[in-house]
Amino acid sequence: MTLAVQNPSSESVTAIAATKLINRLREIVGEEGLLYNAEELLVYECDGYTVEKKVPDVVVFPTSTEQVVAIVKLCNELDVPFIPRGAGTSLAGGTLPIGGGVMITLTRMKRIIEVNLRDRYAVCEPGLVNLHLTNHLKETGFHYAPDPSSQGACTIGGNVATNSGGPHTLKYGVTVNHVLGVEAVMPDGSIAQFGGPCEDGPGYDLTGLFVGSEGTFGICTKVWVRLTRNPESYRTLLGVFETVAAATQAISAIIGAGIVPAALEMMDQGIIGALEAAFHFGFPLDAGAVLLIEVDGLEVAVEDEAVRIEDLCLQHGAREVRRARSAKERLLLWKCRKQAFGAIGRLSPSYCTQDGVVPRTKLPEILEFITDCGKRHGLRIVNVFHAGDGNIHPILLFDERDAEQVQRVLLASDEILTKCLDLGGSVTGEHGIGVEKISFMDKLFAPADLAVMKQLRDVFNPDNRCSPGKMLPTAGGCGTESHTHKSHPGRRAAM
Amino acid sequence: MPNSDSVFHPNTQDELAQFVVTNAASERRPLIPIGGGTTSRKGSAENAVEIHLDQLNRVIDFPARDMTITVEAGIRMADLAKILRAENQRLPIDIPQADQATLGGVIASNWSGPRRYGCGTMRDYVIGISAIDASGQQFKAGGRVVKNVAGYDLCKLLVGSHGTLAIITQVTLKLRPLPESSGFVCLGFDTAREIEPVIDQLQRSATRPIVIDVWNQNFIEGRTIQRTLSPMLYVGYEGSERETLWQIQTLLAECKQFAPRIQETILDSSVKPFLFALTNLSGFSLTKLSGQFANRFKTCLPSSRTMEILQHADPYSGFIVGSHAGNGIVFGHHAGDYRAEEAEALYRPLRELVRSHGGTLIFSDVPSDWKFAETTWANLGPAATWMQRVKQQLDPLNLLKPGCLPVS
Ligand SMILES: Cc1cc2nc3c(=O)[nH]c(=O)nc-3n(C[C@H](O)[C@H](O)[C@H](O)COP(=O)(O)OP(=O)(O)OC[C@H]3O[C@@H](n4cnc5c(N)ncnc54)[C@H](O)[C@@H]3O)c2cc1C
Repeated sequence: MTLAVQNPSSESVTAIAATKLINRLREIVGEEGLLYNAEELLVYECDGYTVEKKVPDVVVFPTSTEQVVAIVKLCNELDVPFIPRGAGTSLAGGTLPIGGGVMITLTRMKRIIEVNLRDRYAVCEPGLVNLHLTNHLKETGFHYAPDPSSQGACTIGGNVATNSGGPHTLKYGVTVNHVLGVEAVMPDGSIAQFGGPCEDGPGYDLTGLFVGSEGTFGICTKVWVRLTRNPESYRTLLGVFETVAAATQAISAIIGAGIVPAALEMMDQGIIGALEAAFHFGFPLDAGAVLLIEVDGLEVAVEDEAVRIEDLCLQHGAREVRRARSAKERLLLWKCRKQAFGAIGRLSPSYCTQDGVVPRTKLPEILEFITDCGKRHGLRIVNVFHAGDGNIHPILLFDERDAEQVQRVLLASDEILTKCLDLGGSVTGEHGIGVEKISFMDKLFAPADLAVMKQLRDVFNPDNRCSPGKMLPTAGGCGTESHTHKSHPGRRAAM
Repeated sequence: MPNSDSVFHPNTQDELAQFVVTNAASERRPLIPIGGGTTSRKGSAENAVEIHLDQLNRVIDFPARDMTITVEAGIRMADLAKILRAENQRLPIDIPQADQATLGGVIASNWSGPRRYGCGTMRDYVIGISAIDASGQQFKAGGRVVKNVAGYDLCKLLVGSHGTLAIITQVTLKLRPLPESSGFVCLGFDTAREIEPVIDQLQRSATRPIVIDVWNQNFIEGRTIQRTLSPMLYVGYEGSERETLWQIQTLLAECKQFAPRIQETILDSSVKPFLFALTNLSGFSLTKLSGQFANRFKTCLPSSRTMEILQHADPYSGFIVGSHAGNGIVFGHHAGDYRAEEAEALYRPLRELVRSHGGTLIFSDVPSDWKFAETTWANLGPAATWMQRVKQQLDPLNLLKPGCLPVS
């Protein structure tokens, strides 16, 4: 048995301390709730953001809030950093254990505690997989609305921490719009409940503040989520366009006409090819882009909306607009969309997804920029994204064994996100700042904005032992480092 | 009102920041931000300066095709609505006295009206915010795009903070298209108890209501709302004309089994005055219309328990009560002039009932000797400690509306 102390001279705990830590953790969760062998820990060296890697000293799998309390108190006692992790699908390095320490993985806390249809809420534990909640509700006529494309794997706790979106959040809103309350083990080891089943509780909306805090305000151990009635009917359309530019014009026209579809997604030629190879749906391989558009609601309403959307697409140069003819075909279309990332394996060994946002009317500009940027850096970039929200997901393809390529990916990513800011947007619509985009925080926000955010972190997490190095840039730092280098602390720590 | 020793009307955000900086460095007088002055939760501070924000009312940017708008916080709600309407858009938050109330005030008090069941509340629409803290530091959070998770979500923290953490100066909102039509079904029953099965049925209805309100009495003259003592259930719909009509007919058919005593539909040009009346009833003007009383309360509890509260507070006992029943929110007051002990005896059973369902009962505008009506941090459980720490951190000198929270 070797301890995964990679670099004792770094911030990682020393071997002796690590042994003590593991022994004490064993008392809390038992041997079956621990991982500390180097080869086992390797799985936890990164999440969906593979550009930076770092293993924790130990991974624990608590099964109750009380265990989480004990773990957090122990970390405080021994002055060891700790970080919560769900399924590890973060695309921003949210679970990178900067400084090593204890990774608290919540996947064994996955019960659905209560479903109350009359009052439209459910209570669940953080490790519950998003899709499992919706599956559990199948026959009830209700669902949980936020549907990240990773919903088959990602956890409700991870969704809460990152304020996840998904294709249908265009109409229904993101995670925070559907979270009524959270229970959390705070960084000092105390338990707090913010919100709950009742709306408009007195005092400040700490639920709203906790959602999206990326694990820096504590460890979520229970969530009250709002349930949404299922729509009666759907119309799912596939608009086929010669060019990306034409497709983006159509998006603008649809939103401008005052139609809010349930979902409005774009896929470009690069991704269509990969999807077709994987799923044989019958996508038009020669199309420049397709729009996946869904309207939902009452049967009396959706047909009219679908017809209006068809007209708008055709007016803006769609070659054709197809309709899903059956529920089965609709599900297949969504399967293709949601597994688009999976299909990328066919295109390249590694990829890096960006998550910028622009005002929806600026989509043509940003997509043009992305194409140019790819050319300039000699990189292949494909696009599949939440177009209705202006939330782009350019996917940069590369081979992570090639350090020079990695460098170009980082540069190109930086340029794309900078352009999003220039266009009045943001660097992240749903994946979070994590470690990946931390160097953008002082481009997005003024020192005073960051100072207030830091004041808030100091309220909840004064020692910064909980998820250190996330969300807020650390002051100072080495002035000689380049912007892209500075932005990747995990890479530094791992090297 | 001109500037004076106790009133300040900034013309620009910078001017306000400067004022607050100077105050923090010298006299440290308490600051009471005021929008339209339509809510009376002012806190209790001596030697305070009222900061009137109504001149900070510029539209900064309205990219209509992006369906967002950035405005200064002092803009009146009615003016904002007019600007949005010109582009066929809206902020679907129902506001009483919209010609007075300002956006910043509505956000700070987290006001909401009947349509919150289908359209949500302010926290669902504020996507960017600028504010000035008690030291005069100007800060912002969020941005101008509809989806954005960069940084902590200070928008959520400031919505409903009643001006106790910072003075909101500028806001970016996400907007919605105006619906083509809307309509209401009004159903009257003998008791509130009979309504719960109807609301329960609404959770399975083929229709998708935007409003589920129940009122036990009202004071509006004229034909916009029925004058009746029996509790009325108001169910609202929006959408294309066909959609609205279909839903109204479908609901009426679904509700036959409950044999309502009164049954009416409100359509076309009657909808606007009706919604206006409903909104104003749930608002401040309730107190005004009924004249003498100023003891408002609000309860938050699971929707399924709302009718128990209405049943308890039936009109014959002197309570005037309304509810956003779909959301579990009940508000009202008691028609009478009470000494503190009498009032306590009157409200104790109500509070116990609310608590037994895990809800909260909060008073506002009560006489100062109604000690039982004060909400203390202790009533709010462990979360209150964190709220206090947030307040302490952002306003260590307690300059912003001292005494306002947790007393509501
Ligand atoms: C193929 C693919 C598609 C994706 N599509 C989408 C999409 O459509 N929309 C979208 O928003 N995201 C998407 N993502 C990103 C990712 O799935 C989401 O961010 C998701 O919410 C992460 O959940 P997780 O359980 O994997 O959390 P993790 O990746 O394990 O953690 C994410 C962050 O949350 C923190 N965290 C986890 N659990 C807790 C807890 N219990 N308490 C406190 N903090 C916690 C972690 O510390 C970390 O900072 C996608 C990812 C992939 C790989």
